[in-house]
Amino acid sequence: MNEDLLDIICCPLDKHDLELDIEERDEDDEIIAGTLTCTECGEVYPIEDGIPNLLPPDMREESPA
Amino acid sequence: MGSDDHDARSVRETYETIASHFSETRAHPWPEVTEFVEAATQVDLGLDLGCGNGRHAAVLHERADQVLALDASRNLLREAREKLDPTWVRLLQGDAARLPLADDCVDLAVYVATLHHLPSRERRRESLDELARVLSPEGEALVSAWSTAHDRFDADAEAETGFDTEIDWTLPGGETVARFYHIYAPAEFEADLAASDCRVIEFEVSSGNCYARISGKSRDEAGAL
Repeated sequence: MNEDLLDIICCPLDKHDLELDIEERDEDDEIIAGTLTCTECGEVYPIEDGIPNLLPPDMREESPA
Repeated sequence: MGSDDHDARSVRETYETIASHFSETRAHPWPEVTEFVEAATQVDLGLDLGCGNGRHAAVLHERADQVLALDASRNLLREAREKLDPTWVRLLQGDAARLPLADDCVDLAVYVATLHHLPSRERRRESLDELARVLSPEGEALVSAWSTAHDRFDADAEAETGFDTEIDWTLPGGETVARFYHIYAPAEFEADLAASDCRVIEFEVSSGNCYARISGKSRDEAGAL
């Protein structure tokens, strides 16, 4: 994930800003792992394998099947 | 909310399963999409909503400096990443009915063959409102959905509403995976757009799909409603 995305992404639930925590960057400065946390509701969205997962929590969880 | 949530997740999981094979069969952009993009002026930010393997994100880049490619399926986003240049594409996993994007940030968008996968009319209308919300005041989008006018459906294209169905995807090994579709009656597609925050600039039925060129409603209009 490129850090410039922070200017346009938001929490899918309440549309408030997200706070970025970086766990890993690659040699091109792309963010490979980390989290995005809603500054309003506190929901945490993971960045996995370089792609932010901004699915609302009810779609993110794997179904039991 | 319960059953809807499950269904939306099911559609995503279906595409997680078929992503690789699906992508092999989706090499070419649709001519209606190419035509829409080519008619646009050069802009900063494009959005491919329901990007799949990204074939239309590449078309958007002809007019947009940067392109957001958003899909619910992570495996499809991985397919898109293989094909697209990281200097201009920004991949996002998200739900079309609850967009993780700021108001007014998108200048040019395509929302192609995705709306019909959302499992309830309420969600489909929400996603149209969301698209209108993220479009800039000058922004435009092309929305398409499969319709009852398609040859493969034995349906009355003049009806007020379409129908829900499942259409199998057959994997190379012969395994089939069912995909949820809402097949739109053209009148229903127009009604959903009219009930949403989108303003329709142009509407047509082409190759069995409904197409609408839309913008967001201006603030004055929205206030007057």
